[in-house]
Amino acid sequence: MQETGFQVRIVKEAFDPQAEAAAFCAGRDDAGALVSFCGICRKDEAVAELRLDQYEGFTEKEISRITQEVAARFSCPDLLVIHRVGVIKPGEAIVLVAALATHRANAFEAVKVLMDYLKTDAPLWKKETGSSGSRWVEPRAEDYARRKQADKPEAGAA
Amino acid sequence: MVRLVFLGKFGEMAPAELAEVSLPGEVKTLSDLQNWLGHKAPLLARAMAATRTRLVLNQEVVHDLSRAVASGDEVAFLPPMSGG
Repeated sequence: MQETGFQVRIVKEAFDPQAEAAAFCAGRDDAGALVSFCGICRKDEAVAELRLDQYEGFTEKEISRITQEVAARFSCPDLLVIHRVGVIKPGEAIVLVAALATHRANAFEAVKVLMDYLKTDAPLWKKETGSSGSRWVEPRAEDYARRKQADKPEAGAA
Repeated sequence: MVRLVFLGKFGEMAPAELAEVSLPGEVKTLSDLQNWLGHKAPLLARAMAATRTRLVLNQEVVHDLSRAVASGDEVAFLPPMSGG
């Protein structure tokens, strides 16, 4: 199978997740499966906007390291991660994770585990601002639990 | 001079003059640096001690606080992360 390898991009402007997913698999008629997940800024009375801070340089490097690990573990080299930073409005995409593979199983697993890792291990800091002021968001206990589960060898097995 | 980077909520607590600091001679390691910060910015140091704080030295995650820190280095303090 032809490989394009993994791509990680940290973007400061709004992006179109559907166009990005389409571009990612364009011309890849050797792939039998495209699995993608897109996290969207949810409209909520308490959240007028979201701000994501990065550590310039380090954030992209760390997400690339995590992505490479997942690619090797699930033999799924074609992975795409696009993560927004800066001020994000409701309805805008925050993150897109996509996997292209010969068959669906590895692609599903890779996307799920990669998202579980990003929730707790991606060097990004999220601040919500809404009617009752601002607060820094930290991973919930269930995020840490999923992250721990993702480390197990059978993780992702559907 | 040592560059200090405070991410997320730490960034809001850190006094601006801590962005670039000239460390006294007795501050030789990351652990010394943390103690020194405890005197310079007690609120910030308390917040760091109260949560999972990760240290990054010259863009590399460090767990060993006995690592040396010297002029020209960049040390970052990372509160719990929340991507995705």
